[in-house]
Amino acid sequence: MTTETMTRDRSRTAGKSTLRKGLDTLYLVSGALAALFLLTILGIIVAQMASRWMGVQFPGSTDYAGYCMAASSFFALAYTLNHNAHIRVSLILNIAKGKVRRALYLWCLSIATLLSGYLAYFSIRNVQLSHMIHDISQGQDATPLWIPQSAVAIGTVIFTIALLDHLVRTLRGEDDTFAEEHHVEGEEF
Amino acid sequence: MDELTLTGIFLFTLFFLLGSGVWIGLALLGVAFVGMELFTGRPTGDAMFTAIWSGSASWTLTALPLFIWMGEILFRTRLSEDMFKGLSPWMANLPGQLLHTNVVGCTVFAAVSGSSAATLTTVGKMSIPELRRRGYPDYMTLGTLVGASTLGLMIPPSLTLIVYGVTINESISKLFMAGVLPGLVLAGLFMGYIAVWSFVRRNEVPPKEARMSFAEKLYNSRFLIPVILLIALVIGSIYTGVATATESAAFGVIGALVLATLQGSLTKDTFIASLMGATRTSCMIALILAGAAFLALAMGFTGLPATVAEYIGSLELSPLTLIFALMCFYIIVGMFLDGISSVVLTMAVVEPMIRQAGIDLLWFGIFIVVVVEMAQITPPIGFNLFVMQGMTKKPIGYIAKTAFPMFLLMVVMVGILVMFPDLATYLPENMKQTPG
Repeated sequence: MTTETMTRDRSRTAGKSTLRKGLDTLYLVSGALAALFLLTILGIIVAQMASRWMGVQFPGSTDYAGYCMAASSFFALAYTLNHNAHIRVSLILNIAKGKVRRALYLWCLSIATLLSGYLAYFSIRNVQLSHMIHDISQGQDATPLWIPQSAVAIGTVIFTIALLDHLVRTLRGEDDTFAEEHHVEGEEF
Repeated sequence: MDELTLTGIFLFTLFFLLGSGVWIGLALLGVAFVGMELFTGRPTGDAMFTAIWSGSASWTLTALPLFIWMGEILFRTRLSEDMFKGLSPWMANLPGQLLHTNVVGCTVFAAVSGSSAATLTTVGKMSIPELRRRGYPDYMTLGTLVGASTLGLMIPPSLTLIVYGVTINESISKLFMAGVLPGLVLAGLFMGYIAVWSFVRRNEVPPKEARMSFAEKLYNSRFLIPVILLIALVIGSIYTGVATATESAAFGVIGALVLATLQGSLTKDTFIASLMGATRTSCMIALILAGAAFLALAMGFTGLPATVAEYIGSLELSPLTLIFALMCFYIIVGMFLDGISSVVLTMAVVEPMIRQAGIDLLWFGIFIVVVVEMAQITPPIGFNLFVMQGMTKKPIGYIAKTAFPMFLLMVVMVGILVMFPDLATYLPENMKQTPG
């Protein structure tokens, strides 16, 4: 289903420029990375249980699982956006028609790009800081924190790019990712 | 500017960003940003990163994607077919007959999935056509289904309860246990309603099915029994303290994969589809939680929670009045927000209030879940109503009307919770402590 939707999205947009292809690949790859981190969480937890039953220590397992959680969440941001799976209050968006609706979409995308960009900027800064001052995790894992934190920075940068991408496409009138009330089976809660 | 104006601007930003349709997680970030800029001289961006990092890299949170994934796997199996075939023979002799498959089916699926929309689609896909074919009136079929699907939010594993637990730092295992009995009582209320209906509207009840022997019944539910065992494994491992909530979720995922393999419905495609689906849903919730983590920090600086708690305290409301007021409040909030967002958005303000009133936070978790469940089946924004509309192509108004009796039953449920708080607190108080 994933690839299908992506190809459909792509054929909707006018040209298949190198930039377009590159961006779509970027989103897909970061989505796949997010899924890998989710798998890793499962792996860590299974390993943790197994080692407990065998009486072996697995120090820092909970910390590692936490890092994977953050990595999975942030790498998936752009991919989730492209599937219109981030939720919003769509009451007014649905009532609005024509130009008002378009203006609302542009407003939402602009403010979202700004906020995400702001977060991306400070994530990068803080990762650099963690690296510089050799910030080490307080847990048993003693991981240098800049490593897991860079997942947050990279994820939000890709998210910002994706939002900007949608903003540009909406300005050109080429974006219908968010057009319909999106209710993929089993995806809500 | 005085405090009041600042608070006004802060709240206006909140409503404006959410109302204009900015994605909820980002809207919360924006509100928190405005709050920090208005009320403190601290470096906002760095505080934002720290709050989001510590909120996102969380061990407790890892239960979330795993339980979502478990539901996604089972959602893609033949479970819904098997469910109707497996349940109907046992329900045929109850008053109200096969309508009970809706409630019991939802209860069973709620116990493998934390999502009420997934519960609704899975059970509805099969039971609506089957019940229609047998001549059950539509309003009962749809109404009981929409009502019972909300059990997905209460019966463990419940995504809303995980999010609530993470937000207020309460044990997920305990919250899960707290949800079991109230969930079953609510299911019992729905079934009671069906039974009463069958006596009142005797002429609308279709003729009975052919009787089956016990062995035949068992044979028909042969595919369902493994699922029940999986549920027992997941919930049992939490209750007995063998596993933490996250570990039981790992059991659940592996069990679901095994079940799907045995059924022959696990292909490379369904595996990837379920994993990617889980990645998306968990990311969607994680973004809301990230926004909420920063908002909680900003809220602290605004002093709003303390002021509200103080004000409510000064009113000297009885806990009963407070609970009633909060019920109305959450029903209104839930008309515009989904369950998870309404929980994370309000808890920063509501938590101090609840603590001050001396209300048990486990109990309150169950209460809040029942109330946001109600909101799922009331217009204008009821997620389950939308899902049902998508499945049946009936107007929202009609579906909401059929679900209204269920809404009233949920109000009764709140009453029962208030009168018998032990319902929620008995299991968590008696469970074994988890090792990790």
